[in-house]
Amino acid sequence: MVLKSLKYTLKTALTTTEVTRLYPEVMMELPANERGIHELDATTCIGCGSCARICPNSCIEMVPYRYGNPLKNRKMQFPQIDYGRCTFCGLCVDECPVSCLKMGKTTEIAGWDRKDIVYGPDRIAVKKFSEKEVAELEAEAKRQAEEKKKAAAAAAKEKAAKAKGKENKAKAKLGEGGEA
Amino acid sequence: MSAIQSAFPGSVLESRVESDRRLWITVDPKKLVEITQFLRDKKDFDHYSGAAGVDRINDNLFEVVEILTSHGAHQVVVLMKVKIPRDKPSVRSLTGLYWNANWYEREIWEMYGINFEGHPELYPLLLPDELVGYWPWRKDFKGYPDTTTGERAIEQVGPDGYTEFKIMPHPELIKAGVVPERPKYPTFREREEAEIKSDSEMIMHMGPQHAIVPGPFLLDLLIEGERVKKAFLDVGYIHKGIEKIMENRTYLQGLVYTDRMCYLASITNNEAYCGAVEKLLGITPPERAQYIRVILAELSRIQSHLLGTGEFLTLLGAATYSPFQYMIIDREDIVYLMESVTGARITHTFVRFGGVRNDLPDGFADKARPILKRMRERTEEYMDLLHSDPIYTRRMRGIGVLSPGDARRLGVSGPPLRASDTPYDMRREDPILVYPDLDFKVVTRKAGDAEARVEVRLEEILESIHIIEQCLDQIPEGPIQEKLPKKIKPEPGEAYYRVEDPRGEMGFYVVSDGSEKPYRVKVRGPVYAYMQALPPLLEGAYVADVVAIAGSMDACTSEVDR
Repeated sequence: MVLKSLKYTLKTALTTTEVTRLYPEVMMELPANERGIHELDATTCIGCGSCARICPNSCIEMVPYRYGNPLKNRKMQFPQIDYGRCTFCGLCVDECPVSCLKMGKTTEIAGWDRKDIVYGPDRIAVKKFSEKEVAELEAEAKRQAEEKKKAAAAAAKEKAAKAKGKENKAKAKLGEGGEA
Repeated sequence: MSAIQSAFPGSVLESRVESDRRLWITVDPKKLVEITQFLRDKKDFDHYSGAAGVDRINDNLFEVVEILTSHGAHQVVVLMKVKIPRDKPSVRSLTGLYWNANWYEREIWEMYGINFEGHPELYPLLLPDELVGYWPWRKDFKGYPDTTTGERAIEQVGPDGYTEFKIMPHPELIKAGVVPERPKYPTFREREEAEIKSDSEMIMHMGPQHAIVPGPFLLDLLIEGERVKKAFLDVGYIHKGIEKIMENRTYLQGLVYTDRMCYLASITNNEAYCGAVEKLLGITPPERAQYIRVILAELSRIQSHLLGTGEFLTLLGAATYSPFQYMIIDREDIVYLMESVTGARITHTFVRFGGVRNDLPDGFADKARPILKRMRERTEEYMDLLHSDPIYTRRMRGIGVLSPGDARRLGVSGPPLRASDTPYDMRREDPILVYPDLDFKVVTRKAGDAEARVEVRLEEILESIHIIEQCLDQIPEGPIQEKLPKKIKPEPGEAYYRVEDPRGEMGFYVVSDGSEKPYRVKVRGPVYAYMQALPPLLEGAYVADVVAIAGSMDACTSEVDR
């Protein structure tokens, strides 16, 4: 019996490839669809908040952030994730309509303080606009907004004019009726 | 069905045949025991699978659903419903017919306040004593104590100088009569001490933290000399109320909680929950998704059996060849395979309604085949090693023998039942997914002792490997997700779905009221049944064998407490 166990022990010792790893230096090779820390593409996020709504622990909060796309995300709201509560279930990633939220291969989130593990959009964003690009986009957004305003104003004017016209007509009709 | 109707005219109020394996009937509460006895004696319904309470607050009714099945005589599951008025809820107890109805009825009593006439020991099981009388799973329960006041804990300094924090109801509420009167019953300690008959007997505590399983539960043994005379179990130390939490989450969010009931069986828990919701929605997943689910479920079974067996052997003192370390090394490969598909190591949240989350990665089959081949060799090695170890054999052979009749009576399922010569496997009894197309055999042993239970587990690993290899050969190309409506809102109705967990029969009973959230979710777990069967199994055993007997059941307290 002892010899048999020894035989298997030796066999395991000689054939098993890897048992322990020198952890901080040699990291484990993670598969492609590992569910680690989130990665946000701020250039495409539309700030719809569906990730915050589906989260079963409500660890996602929408917070303002500067380096996004003001054309798509008018209020500039981006997800902030509290890793103290996150369970890495991945429902937020599945729910995202523009697939701007993904989960990456980073898994180390230790911090000194509870605030350290609340990751704002600046920490999870892997793609974002530079200051210059944001300024340009903002100008563009302003221009578009103004155009829209103008268009809206014009539409309102037209509507008002139409309404006035109708009123006038009605008045005229009334007048006619009165005369008759 | 027609047999029941002819035998009891007028007492079947409603009936529905869902498929050839599910029968829903609503019966007259007065005739419940007679009908159950008829089913048990004449129609071979010898397995009491569980019971669930439902609070139909809008109809002013309580429902108790009894789930009856058979050990292999046929595959019909009868879900027998009793409707009782809400103001004075009382049903006749089934403990006289089925021994294992005891805990299920106790749980319904403490959660809903439904009285069971003729129940021998109607004491709280999962709840702490302060909460009994509030009936927390009723729909009109507002929380305890009044959380709006902020005075949750009251500090009390005892005469011996120790400070205790007690959560008391608010005095104003007591004055107003909102606080219910606590039902009177002896406490756990008093019940134990009442059993001490002579000076030679004493009570030995094992737990709540102890050597049998990692989860906490209290096992008190009344011993005389070296023999156990009686065992008392106290569970509920980590009661999380998952069933109630899931009532307040949408269907998809509830999926995350099924993982956390037992991390070794998270895929099968997902599968059972998704299967029940799929039945409500009336969809079936595409074939490729079904194959992926089977592969993952079997991988999960392998890793669960490896960890369970390895851990148990270490606790037994088998340190000479350190099986735990060996099995952890092998389990790492299996867990890595699962991680490459699901993206997580233990809490997968992988199965979706009508499909799965991810497809298999490229080259999965090529990666899996050598690992499975190695796994097969290693399992054969373990079987050889354990078989030839005289210390192991002496500690395990003939210990904790569960005869086939007893095993069926106590309501256990899974490997312990199959080790007692009963080929009862949900993959055969209630075939789901693509299991009917696959070739596998149900592993059984005749002995029914602790050794047989471990042997069944190890041989099941080989069967699982066989199943996965077939799946890898047969898996078709195609979509992995059925089209779903944007908001999951099943029609009002109910469904019961069961799968073969690594530990036994896992069933989910889901009631829908047509909204986004489930109206009621009931989990029928396998370990709940094991735990209930522990006290009679331990009676008459030596104290030294308690760990061997209880550990060989491979329990998981987290799932008992849910």
